[in-house]
Amino acid sequence: MSSVIESPRGTCVLGGINNVLSAVSRLCPIYHSGPGCCMQTSIGEAGQAGLRSPHFLSGVSTPCSNMLEREVVFGGEQKLRDEIDGALEIIDADAYFVLTGCTAGIIGDDIASITREYSDRGLPVYPITTPGFAGDSLLGFEVAFEAFLDFVVEKGLPRQGDLVNLIGVVPYHDPHWSGTLEELTRILRKLGLRVNTFFTENQGLAEVKSSGSAALNIIVSSHLLKKTAERYEAEHGVPHLRVPYLPIGASLTTNFVRAVGEKLGLSSELVESVIFDEESYVYHYYESIVGGLGWKRFAVVADGSAAVGVTRFLADDFGMTPVVTIISEPIFRTEDRERIEAGIRAVEYAKAPDIFFQPDHYEIRKKIKEYDGITLLIGSSLEQEVALELGIQCHVMVFPTSDRLVLNRTYAGYRGALTIIEDLFNNL
Amino acid sequence: MPRTYSGIRESRPNTFNDLGGQAAQLADDFEQNCIKNADRTFSQGLQCQQINSISAVISLEESVFIIHSPQGCSGCVSMGADGYRVGQAHRGVHFIKSPRVIITNLDQNDIIMGGEAKLREAIALAEERYSPKMIFIFTSCASGIIGDDVDAITATVQPEVKSRLVPIHCDGFKSKICASGFDAAFIAIQKYLLPQEPQPREKGLVNLFAPTSISYKDQLEIERMLGLLGAKVNYIPFYSSFEKIQKITSAEASTSICKVFADEFMKELDETYGIPFAHTVMPIGVRNTDKWFLGIAELIGKGDLAREYIQKEHDRVLPQLEGIKKRLAGKRVFICGGTGRSFAAAALIDDFGMELVGLETPTYDIDAQIDIEYLNGIHKNYVVDVANMQPFEQVNLVNKLKPDLFIGVPSWSGRFGIPTTHVLDPKRATMGYDGILYLGNKIADQVENPGFNRKLAPYARLPYKKSWYEDDAFKFIKEV
Repeated sequence: MSSVIESPRGTCVLGGINNVLSAVSRLCPIYHSGPGCCMQTSIGEAGQAGLRSPHFLSGVSTPCSNMLEREVVFGGEQKLRDEIDGALEIIDADAYFVLTGCTAGIIGDDIASITREYSDRGLPVYPITTPGFAGDSLLGFEVAFEAFLDFVVEKGLPRQGDLVNLIGVVPYHDPHWSGTLEELTRILRKLGLRVNTFFTENQGLAEVKSSGSAALNIIVSSHLLKKTAERYEAEHGVPHLRVPYLPIGASLTTNFVRAVGEKLGLSSELVESVIFDEESYVYHYYESIVGGLGWKRFAVVADGSAAVGVTRFLADDFGMTPVVTIISEPIFRTEDRERIEAGIRAVEYAKAPDIFFQPDHYEIRKKIKEYDGITLLIGSSLEQEVALELGIQCHVMVFPTSDRLVLNRTYAGYRGALTIIEDLFNNL
Repeated sequence: MPRTYSGIRESRPNTFNDLGGQAAQLADDFEQNCIKNADRTFSQGLQCQQINSISAVISLEESVFIIHSPQGCSGCVSMGADGYRVGQAHRGVHFIKSPRVIITNLDQNDIIMGGEAKLREAIALAEERYSPKMIFIFTSCASGIIGDDVDAITATVQPEVKSRLVPIHCDGFKSKICASGFDAAFIAIQKYLLPQEPQPREKGLVNLFAPTSISYKDQLEIERMLGLLGAKVNYIPFYSSFEKIQKITSAEASTSICKVFADEFMKELDETYGIPFAHTVMPIGVRNTDKWFLGIAELIGKGDLAREYIQKEHDRVLPQLEGIKKRLAGKRVFICGGTGRSFAAAALIDDFGMELVGLETPTYDIDAQIDIEYLNGIHKNYVVDVANMQPFEQVNLVNKLKPDLFIGVPSWSGRFGIPTTHVLDPKRATMGYDGILYLGNKIADQVENPGFNRKLAPYARLPYKKSWYEDDAFKFIKEV
């Protein structure tokens, strides 16, 4: 059940599906939808996530049946067949996924039957029948993984003990998704692991297909992909480890590394030596800026994972004072809220901040203004307005990030901590 | 006509969106009424009219914007909102605001039960939070198909709220021409915001309708030029207000700096309020700047003054074009843009002696015909692709034509290694006579320095099969 909301942070199911499909190499989304959905979802997601556009198909280059009144009245199934035929003829993709816009979903076009006409002929054309109006882009992110499990992930492959799937970071929604996956991959490789992210280093369908043979699903998310994790366990025997925060900085990243090591039974000597190396690298830099960042009373407005990660990092590793943390994405399950709250409350030395779950932009602004003496606001581009009003420092770090370009920058991992410190320095 | 105009551009006679061929042939066919209705059996995503409706009004002051739709239809708000924030910065605003956007977030339940309750809730929230002067309500594919009667709902709610409720009917599936969304917005503005009875004329007041992409610098230059004619400008609808909208009907004349923006609305103002209008071109390049300026000047009886000014500006600017011409003459150009800018760019390159080899523009109609006939007098052999983007056709054509320069959104053609540039620059001055110099130097600089695209090309990937580049670019355009 969705509610009326001011300035929502994200688009619809289609947006989330498209984020995934456009981050995996050489996949072709085909929108069976009205004429604006490709643009709405790509500008509303990638366009607000650090402004990169997926290079393969994106926005107005995405195949779309552009349903008009005629299709709404008479049905759009033939139009969809023509569209799929055209896509197969000219787009050089490894697989084609038909997405269901509100228009197609409401009039009830039978997309699964149509794609079956192609898959029966051995063509890699698959349906995703969850319509746009079923929820937000985070649901869409999960729906895309469901589709991979339904149609792509191969069963019965031999287990590969050193292969892990690193999932949970939402591509083209989390502005730092690719830098984050690259940094966490770098760290996992030092543990001797091979890493499927599906989204980085030109990974594609081959990695998705073989993902059922992994030894572990590492899910870096406070709450996403619950069902995906369960299905991988049940259907492919892949256990999972949920890392319920974005690992930012030495403390959280070390927790992450130890958790992976334990779950996979890696030698603790190896794990501890990697941790020592990485922490030494970080603290070697910290030594040169002791006192350089000053002290701040900070507020956080962010998605669940980043809210835990950044609150803990600034409080635990940098001695700053957390005042209030607002989780700005809608979170429906009580267990998820509790997990996020527990993550934030686990601050080591500081007093835990007040915690609110509030996706409505008006209520968020109102809440921030209730606190005196905040000197730093970590949030999205939307938070700049209230920061300007209050005359406080604002650092844009989460979705929507619509006014700064993000390529491989990340705040995650050991090295990301150095980047966030560089960015937070403010001489004013 | 305008009185019953539905706001759907397809309903205007001789309007074609799926068409391609050599320009001379198209002009002949259009002339002889031989162009058949067609559709693309394969196409890429379009811009829906809702995106345009929202972007047309998003910078209005003291307003709240309610999108009556599932959450995805708010995606492109970010485009308008960013433009609005940048625009405020350019206008020296310190406390930069974001537009207030509330989405009804229609979900599965609402699709079955109707979205009325949520729309009422959204209106109440808007009123309670901001007490705005205007609340704009945008319909969507979903709200349209499930049959929410937004007019009836707002009519019953209106007495309960102080804000003026302005429902805009911009269901995406109703039109494939995104400019319909501008018409939908103006139809609503007329119906719900303008005084219904004629107002006393305000001497020298001219409505200047300008689309989203006009920079503040361009606004200032155009206002300055109109000021030379003694006109006082009512700049609509960007960075405008309830009061300025009310003033529309007090103007002595209207003009627009985009050929498709507000053309129907200006007709409507003429017929209903007796406000004459100049419908010309976007003032980019010498020919178009002359034509635009003279158009409005003649209308307000200042033709002589305008001609005098134009002569003075020619004397000043034309000699400076010589240097740019030396750098650009003979270069072969492919242009892709919206209706206003594509034709403006095509006319502009003539100032620099460049050769047009391809033109991609969203709609072919009588206005396009006038421009095409003009261009045919200069360029003998160029291809026209009537398409709203459709990058698959663009890359096919660009790859075959191998132009020296591509003007337009560079995302795809730039990957061939050819230089790319754009005449759309919402942050700089591109219009009027100084704009010509800015654009000329920009184009010349970019033609001469193709380093980025050249070096990217060997690594760049496009999603199309090799066979597609051999094929007929227009093969998916089929008669219906």
